[in-house]
Amino acid sequence: MNGNDVAALELAGLLKRFGDSVAVDHIDLRVPAGSFFGLVGPNGAGKTTALLMAVGLLRPDGGTVRIFGRDVWTDPVGAKALIGVLPDGLALPDRLTGREVLRYLGLLRGLPADVVEQRADELLRVLELDHAVDTAVVDYSTGMKKKITLATALLHSPRLLLLDEPFEAVDPVSAATIRTILQRFVAAGGSVIFSSHVMALVERLCDHLAVIDKGRVVASGSLAEVRGSQSLEDAFVGIVGARTAGVEGLSWLAS
Amino acid sequence: MAGILISMRAAIARRQTAGKRAAGVWALVALVTLLAVGTLLTGLRHYHYAGAGANVVATLSLGWLLGWVTGPLLTGDDATLRLDYFKLLPIPVRKLAYAMLAAAFANVSLAFSLIAFAALIALGAESGAAAALTGAAAATLDLVLAVIASQVAIAVFGPAISSRRGRDFGTMVLALVITLLSLASGLVPFVAQRLTDGRSPVLSDVVRALPSGWGAVAVDAASRSDWGLVAVCLGALATLIGALVLAWPPLLARRLTMSARSGRRPTPARRHRRDGRPLASLPLAAGRDGRPLASLPLTPSGAVLGRELRLYSRTVLRSLLLMISFLVGTGVGITCALSGNTDGLPFCGLLFTVIAAACFTNCYGDDGTSLWLTLIVPGAARADVRGRVWAWLLVAGPAGLLLTLVLTAVSGQAWPWPWVLAAEPAMVIGCAGLLVLIGAWSVNGLAADGGPSPARVLKTHLALVAIPVVVLFPAAALLIPGAVGHSLLLRWLAVPASIAWAALLSWRAASAAAHRLESHGPEIFSAVRASSA
Repeated sequence: MNGNDVAALELAGLLKRFGDSVAVDHIDLRVPAGSFFGLVGPNGAGKTTALLMAVGLLRPDGGTVRIFGRDVWTDPVGAKALIGVLPDGLALPDRLTGREVLRYLGLLRGLPADVVEQRADELLRVLELDHAVDTAVVDYSTGMKKKITLATALLHSPRLLLLDEPFEAVDPVSAATIRTILQRFVAAGGSVIFSSHVMALVERLCDHLAVIDKGRVVASGSLAEVRGSQSLEDAFVGIVGARTAGVEGLSWLAS
Repeated sequence: MAGILISMRAAIARRQTAGKRAAGVWALVALVTLLAVGTLLTGLRHYHYAGAGANVVATLSLGWLLGWVTGPLLTGDDATLRLDYFKLLPIPVRKLAYAMLAAAFANVSLAFSLIAFAALIALGAESGAAAALTGAAAATLDLVLAVIASQVAIAVFGPAISSRRGRDFGTMVLALVITLLSLASGLVPFVAQRLTDGRSPVLSDVVRALPSGWGAVAVDAASRSDWGLVAVCLGALATLIGALVLAWPPLLARRLTMSARSGRRPTPARRHRRDGRPLASLPLAAGRDGRPLASLPLTPSGAVLGRELRLYSRTVLRSLLLMISFLVGTGVGITCALSGNTDGLPFCGLLFTVIAAACFTNCYGDDGTSLWLTLIVPGAARADVRGRVWAWLLVAGPAGLLLTLVLTAVSGQAWPWPWVLAAEPAMVIGCAGLLVLIGAWSVNGLAADGGPSPARVLKTHLALVAIPVVVLFPAAALLIPGAVGHSLLLRWLAVPASIAWAALLSWRAASAAAHRLESHGPEIFSAVRASSA
């Protein structure tokens, strides 16, 4: 197999049920190496469930997940060494300071202490968390928590970043910083897959994307292939068959 | 407006007394009714020493007033009409302030307090109608004072208590008070006797001098027809109430412009400090202020050990569990020792270790979804277990061993030495692996109110029995025959045998825990996630 042909992430027949409800319904997805890949879909479409299975935090009921050819569930050590993860809504050891979280994680990953120190220092500075080095994570704002979690994902220099809603609750200046970091990462050969509800952001950053609805991939490919001649937002509404509400009622508003 | 607030408060209160929390609310109602009726009965009782009734009623009034002031603060601000609801409404502060004050009187708790403060009427009735009327006036003023003081306290201290550190502090204080009260129940008869036999004038003067005691002093004065003192006491109560009513609107205005989260007024965002401090020079095992915690190994297990040691000292739940274990463990033996029986003293350390171990058997459940960080790092499961084991040994071990050595020496008895030296080190070592294994096998989340869930409480109680049985049965198998057969050799042989068994047990349990985390990490994580949702 040619190294360049190996997908950064490959989901095949991925399935997850919660009781009678099927959260992820036999998803097949291929994220090319070196791509900036967007995962979009309505609330409850199955994006987070799919990402949790992709990083080995949720056991699938069927299907396979491969990261650069390594199966996450049969070769977890090999696969997990290649990824950096930013999950949505999961806790950190929040009584530690941001610096302590990075030190802890760096040493846990077996990085040399001086490398951990130097990278933690740089990450905190670049992500503008250096003013809060002595603040416990529990006292961070939502945006700061997002940034320190992103720092944990970047610390060990992974080949693939899997980010669930990385820009949510992040201020515009920090969002621009994160965009630049991710674009540099991809330009240097890394791969990024991230979920988002902000179509303009996906349109601006991604070269490939997939639309997930009701646990299935309903569209995927390059940005041009998925959106066609319209904006991504219009294409998305058309693909998921949604109807935009808000036209009727509320006649008293601003009258 | 007061009407709207009263109906809003009633609707929220109705919701709180329905559903899952109903049982707890009704249990609380039963307890408070019991306390109120008990207070009333102290007013009806006849005391031999003149003024004893006033002392007792003044003391109990202090308890009720403290309950009104500290209750909403310790349980997290006012649970019904939160001030934050009104921050954005275009209502003049003075109008809102008085409407909220009026709404504060539409509170069912008043009924219980009325029964309790009626002790003042009962106390006066013994001396005639005039004193009873004075008691009625004093009871009314005490009731009004309690309600207004409660509102003012929320406005003054609410933001600090609502902050994360304030909540932590409130939780610690509440747990400390409950634990100490449960241990110090033997102190109540002692205090009651001091108040009623007139042997402690200082204690009587203090409870009478506080505002909560002024009503009782007025009734006592009325019974002696000292109408000047009656007027002074009731006038002072009315003045204090008036002062609080005047202070309330500006305090409310201050409170409404504060951030509920931080307890500080909103200030312009500070520029980020970029002082170029040589961060790389900070030691890896540094405390929050850069102070070294310890010389920890710069390895994956050392990283987990550092995390655990910091979390033991910084997480409220962990500190709370250690504190309760210590207080209960030592309290039982020391209370017995005060009555002359020192047999329990040598075993205080052992009791502390057993309680602490049982409390920490939910280690993965208590840490919540932060487990994901361990699971996404390849091969981190073993380091995680090893770090937790060492952290337990370093946190619980020295405390338990020191308690055992010191209190056994203090007891002045020789017979317990082989018993405690066989049991305590073995318990510390054995629990280290066992509690991580139990934590990996059984994950319980927190209950809806943030406290331990019933399943977690049950697990703790089972562990209190099961852990000593599993860890100490080899020691018991040598110590008991040794004691029955008067064999010193058997008793001392229990020490190495017990420690060896505990070490083997701990090692096997830690290996099993690591294997469990490796093979069932996602399932453990799902259980944590489901219970944290």
